Amino acid sequence: MPNRKKIVIDPITRIEGHLRAEVEIDENNVVKEAYVSGQLFRGIEIILKNRDPRDAGLLAGRICGVCTNVHFRAAISAVEDAYGITIPTNSEIIRDLMALALFLQDHVVHFYHLHLLDYVDVTKALEADPELTSEIAQKYSSQPYRNSDTHYVEVKEKLKKFVDAGRLGLFSNGYWGHKAYTLTPEENLLLLSHYLEALKFQTDISKAVAIFGSKTPHPQTIVVGGITSVADMINPQRLNEFILILKESKAFIDRAYLPDVRLITKAYREDIKAGHGRTEGNFLCVGGFPLDKAHRLFEDGIIFGHELERVQPFDESKITENVDRAWYEGDEPHYTDLNEDGTLKTQKREDKYSWVKAPRYEGKPMECGPLARVLVSYQKGNRFIKPFVDEFLEACQLELGDLATTVGRNAARAIESAYIGEYIFKLVNNLLEHIKYYDTETWSKYDFEELPHQAKGRAFFEVPRGVLSHFVNIKDQKIANYQVIAPTTWNASPKDSEDQRGPYEEALIGIKLEDPSRPLEVLRVLHAFDPCLACAVHIIDTKGKELSKYKINSICSI
Amino acid sequence: MQIVIIGGGISAAYIANRIKERAMEADVHIISNEPCAPYDRIHLCRLVGSKETPRDISLELHPSVEVTLNQKVINIDTDAKKILTTDHAYNYDKLIIATGSTPKTLFDIKDLDNASVFRCANDAKKIKEGIKGREVVIVGSGPIALELLETLNAMEDTAHITLLVRSNRLYDRSLSAEAQNEIESAYLKSGKLHISYENEIIDKTIKDGHITQLKTKKFEINDPYLIFGVGIQPNIDFAKASLACKRGILTNDFMQTSDEDIYAVGEAAEVESLNFIAGHVKECTLQADVALSHLFGSEEKRFTPEVSVDMLKVGEFDLIDVSSPERTKEQAFEKILMTSPKDHRLDEYYISDDKLVRFIGLNSNVDVGYLEDLMRDQNPIDASYLYENRVLSERGRLICSCEHLYQKDLEDIVRMSGVSNFQELGEFTQAGRVCGCCKNMVKNIIEASQELIDPNMPKKTPEDIKQEKEIARAKERIEKFNRLHPHNQLDTDNLSSAMDAYDITDKEMNQWVSMVTANMQLHPEFEELVKKGVKTLNRVPVIWLELADCSGNSEAFIKTADPGIADLIFEYISLDYHELLMSSAGDQSETVLEHIISHQKGEYILIVEGAIPLAMDGKFLRIGPQGQTGLELLKKCAEDAALIISVGACAFDGGVVAAAPNPTGAVGVSEALGRDDIINLPGCPVNPINIVGTLLYYLMFEELPALDKYNRPLWAYEGRIHDNCERRGHYELGEFVKEWGDEGAKKGWCLFEMGCKGPYANANCPTMKFNQGTSWPVQGGHGCMGCVEAKFFDRLATERKIEEEK
Repeated sequence: MPNRKKIVIDPITRIEGHLRAEVEIDENNVVKEAYVSGQLFRGIEIILKNRDPRDAGLLAGRICGVCTNVHFRAAISAVEDAYGITIPTNSEIIRDLMALALFLQDHVVHFYHLHLLDYVDVTKALEADPELTSEIAQKYSSQPYRNSDTHYVEVKEKLKKFVDAGRLGLFSNGYWGHKAYTLTPEENLLLLSHYLEALKFQTDISKAVAIFGSKTPHPQTIVVGGITSVADMINPQRLNEFILILKESKAFIDRAYLPDVRLITKAYREDIKAGHGRTEGNFLCVGGFPLDKAHRLFEDGIIFGHELERVQPFDESKITENVDRAWYEGDEPHYTDLNEDGTLKTQKREDKYSWVKAPRYEGKPMECGPLARVLVSYQKGNRFIKPFVDEFLEACQLELGDLATTVGRNAARAIESAYIGEYIFKLVNNLLEHIKYYDTETWSKYDFEELPHQAKGRAFFEVPRGVLSHFVNIKDQKIANYQVIAPTTWNASPKDSEDQRGPYEEALIGIKLEDPSRPLEVLRVLHAFDPCLACAVHIIDTKGKELSKYKINSICSI
Repeated sequence: MQIVIIGGGISAAYIANRIKERAMEADVHIISNEPCAPYDRIHLCRLVGSKETPRDISLELHPSVEVTLNQKVINIDTDAKKILTTDHAYNYDKLIIATGSTPKTLFDIKDLDNASVFRCANDAKKIKEGIKGREVVIVGSGPIALELLETLNAMEDTAHITLLVRSNRLYDRSLSAEAQNEIESAYLKSGKLHISYENEIIDKTIKDGHITQLKTKKFEINDPYLIFGVGIQPNIDFAKASLACKRGILTNDFMQTSDEDIYAVGEAAEVESLNFIAGHVKECTLQADVALSHLFGSEEKRFTPEVSVDMLKVGEFDLIDVSSPERTKEQAFEKILMTSPKDHRLDEYYISDDKLVRFIGLNSNVDVGYLEDLMRDQNPIDASYLYENRVLSERGRLICSCEHLYQKDLEDIVRMSGVSNFQELGEFTQAGRVCGCCKNMVKNIIEASQELIDPNMPKKTPEDIKQEKEIARAKERIEKFNRLHPHNQLDTDNLSSAMDAYDITDKEMNQWVSMVTANMQLHPEFEELVKKGVKTLNRVPVIWLELADCSGNSEAFIKTADPGIADLIFEYISLDYHELLMSSAGDQSETVLEHIISHQKGEYILIVEGAIPLAMDGKFLRIGPQGQTGLELLKKCAEDAALIISVGACAFDGGVVAAAPNPTGAVGVSEALGRDDIINLPGCPVNPINIVGTLLYYLMFEELPALDKYNRPLWAYEGRIHDNCERRGHYELGEFVKEWGDEGAKKGWCLFEMGCKGPYANANCPTMKFNQGTSWPVQGGHGCMGCVEAKFFDRLATERKIEEEK
């Protein structure tokens, strides 16, 4: 390629796992090609083979310590699906509550601790006027979180002392002073003050998960047939504690997180309108979280090529997987190494360059996650989510389609958080109603020896980063085959045999770098997806079409 | 089993007693060529200078040990497993040789009536008889000669003593002139002694087995009593035909000789790999312990030499000689000499390569324990510290060099605890019991201090005193830490302002400190120190590496923080490299890493999360712009780390990644690096409180906490989960959950029947819980899956009882 320069970014920090990005830029520093690669293989599915299906959950949970309870749940649901076990509603609700608390925790941690420093320049905040900061906060929220100007005076003063102390620790060697940081000093200070508040937020919300999960990360209370934390469930004190934590969380989300995202959205309006971070516009959503017999928190559906008006129904038999460019051959790992200089082998079209496989829907790469959920649910007329989306779009003067950009992905995530923050109480209420009328059942009895010795099952879930699916094949009461497609598998997928880029790669094309030695813009694009690489890397049943042969059972409503 | 011990000294008795402690049923048989039961050679002088007999210095021996005296072993028949003496043969299953050494002489004195060495009770008897009315001539000025000289100097039976010294120094030729004068004048006080330097015997006249005249370079002595104190050699003639010998009987690091059923310990043994022959009681007993561990096949112990401490007490002066195992006689050294003529105090520090290799002190007040640590840890010497601490408060004279107990310490114990005799003292300290050298002094001090005991004062228990000591020690460590790190950019002031920035109130801080203190199983009195420790902790740079992991431990870490202080410390102040949280990426983050590794060599702490895949040349994991493998990166970071902590199950032993069939050949940090000094904090994930506690411990004590055989800190991983479980009462009552969600489950009954692995796992989960004490797997009604134990995914992580597994 003439005049193309290759930039390697590894490690990509502030994400889970080992991700590398290589981009090719032209003489104007515009990204022309991108390769995103997962650099770690563990082989959890191989390890799951030959084990008792009842143990799959504890082990599969270890796929990821960030998306911690969703793999645990998905593995157990897949086994329940295979055996045709329907679990008590109480257990379903408690599993949902744990998952939704995780949504809130993950989204807040993502925005403040993993992504914010791509927009906020710590050193600039020191020039801020505290009084003005307080005024600015009121522009984005009628009731801003901890908004007295004396609070900002304190935060600023203490930040100054901290910076003066000379040891920035994790803040050291950032891209400070980079031209792409365009927020005013006051805006920087406002967001940084919430960075600190969010530290406390995420420890508190994790307590909510632990109330029913016994601990987090890696909770331990889900079993085939239900949940074990029945003593916590029937203890009013525990439920009360859960509700209190969620109320506080909701206050933070409504008064800090959502306004902060509005602020960024307005400040980077040009980037949004220029379409920074747009992909092919294929979105995948499986929906889930029943609110009552007729309604769900999220709808399922498929959108192709940004055609928002045309939402097609989701059909799991259309999922296939491709490993032409990933380090697999057949269903075995097949590593073809890096170049001598440590860069990815990408010269030839058939070169393999990632441990992440390439799932496709009707042959297309798909994006999943908060953006897909918001778009699909809104377009399918979900009446609960509608006001949350409308309010945001109106406040920021945007169209729905504008969300399909880098900044828009963050907006969708914040909208979704506020939405969940509100409707999680509906689920709590459902649980309380059950308990009130003496339904404290948490486990569906089965006799393991009597269960079918051969069975196949699968589970599809919406989880914080997108669509998660687990597939299990049981023979002679042992796991014969296991397979996972995680949200990041979709989003961080490499190219395929048709040379179609994965969503991360596609989103990077056309981005202009102010300073190629400090590729801040690349980080913004990738971080906006909230990558989670431990989740993403899974071996594959190469006969991708086989996926649809897993038994489809109606009890798994999602 | 018939275990035979050859020898009649301290080692022989020690071994016999230890065997009986371990295996009462074993037949233990001591064969000695002496005419009396094993006795304490250290006190041999008392047989010369008083009316005491060997019985008075005999060693305690377990009553069922069989002792046969007057048997000189002449050969060992290793095929028949027999030892042969001049007139008997004895069978053995296992044989332990502890024959010690024989003194050297300059000519054969076997048949002379007025010449001897000084080694055994017979020698003492002979000297005592022989010196009457004669001029005593002692050849040599080593420790044995000087000690005997002290005794003879004080005896009425001696009028003239001549000491022949080949060099121009007493004790050791490297001593300073000042020290030499000090020692010499102490001996010369009696007026009986004449020391002749650079002199030696050149001829003698012998008639009828009697030396009538000795001729030295400088003068002649008639009718002398001659005593040789010129060194010793291993007593191994009987073994030369049957066992491999060099200077001593050769052994491996387990003290096993060339015959696998025969062990040799003490002065008779030569550890082949180290080229080492023991010279001190402590080394001998250590070797005995090693040999017995091996013989009984219990935990694997290898012998490594320790720092040695010698003491010589003459009249009013004490000489202390501390020597590093690293020291060699030929080694060049520099010397720091601190003298105080007024106090007759003299400290000589021998330094080689910035390290202290030997210390000789006269009337010294230096803390010998500190010097031992300095030598053991091979830390560079800090001269200003030595100066500042040359007079250790008012602790008085060093009494017990083995236990580092000074006169004042001993008096304090007596005063505080009301100890009335030597027997009772044993509960509080081993002073006077290790080598036994100072036993009489200790007895005297106890007696003399009785008047200090206030009958109205509550008496302290051994635990009280031990704890006070620990607090003092922790204090000292923190002060030392502050002194050792003067270049830190953050002082306590800045840290507290940073803390304010994160809205951490004093109350929250104090709550958190109390929790950590309790978790470290320290007394509440430690809280102040822990707090101080927390405030200085930021000065330690931390690299947190994520390898083949799920980030679960990092997540746990950032989510668990009672008042947020841990976030502060680990994320913002000392945690310089952590991929999940750091602002820099790619090349910039590599720069951060390189900077810490090159500029803070030996200072940073490395925390590792995740397993290390070794299959496919480690290429299942690659990190950084050059695509280093996980193993390469780990090795790079580990090389100059001050301390390595592996967190979580995967870093411990590969965890889930190494579960069968271990497709990526994953191992834990310790195995990947081939090192056994990695602290392991397993758990899936680790409870972050245990990371904080371990770091604090390291900071406060500048050493690793006590570890179990998996290198897990005992304070966190000692208690069995089952023993501390909140549902234990239900177990005792037989109240079990029988299926998930049943009535028992609602009432919180015991989960053993549901496959809880609490009985097989050791950790502090029941007391510390997770997410700020919110819950833990037993409270959550599931039960423990043993995630702190090795290979738990292949052994324990099920919901079924172990015996139900096929």
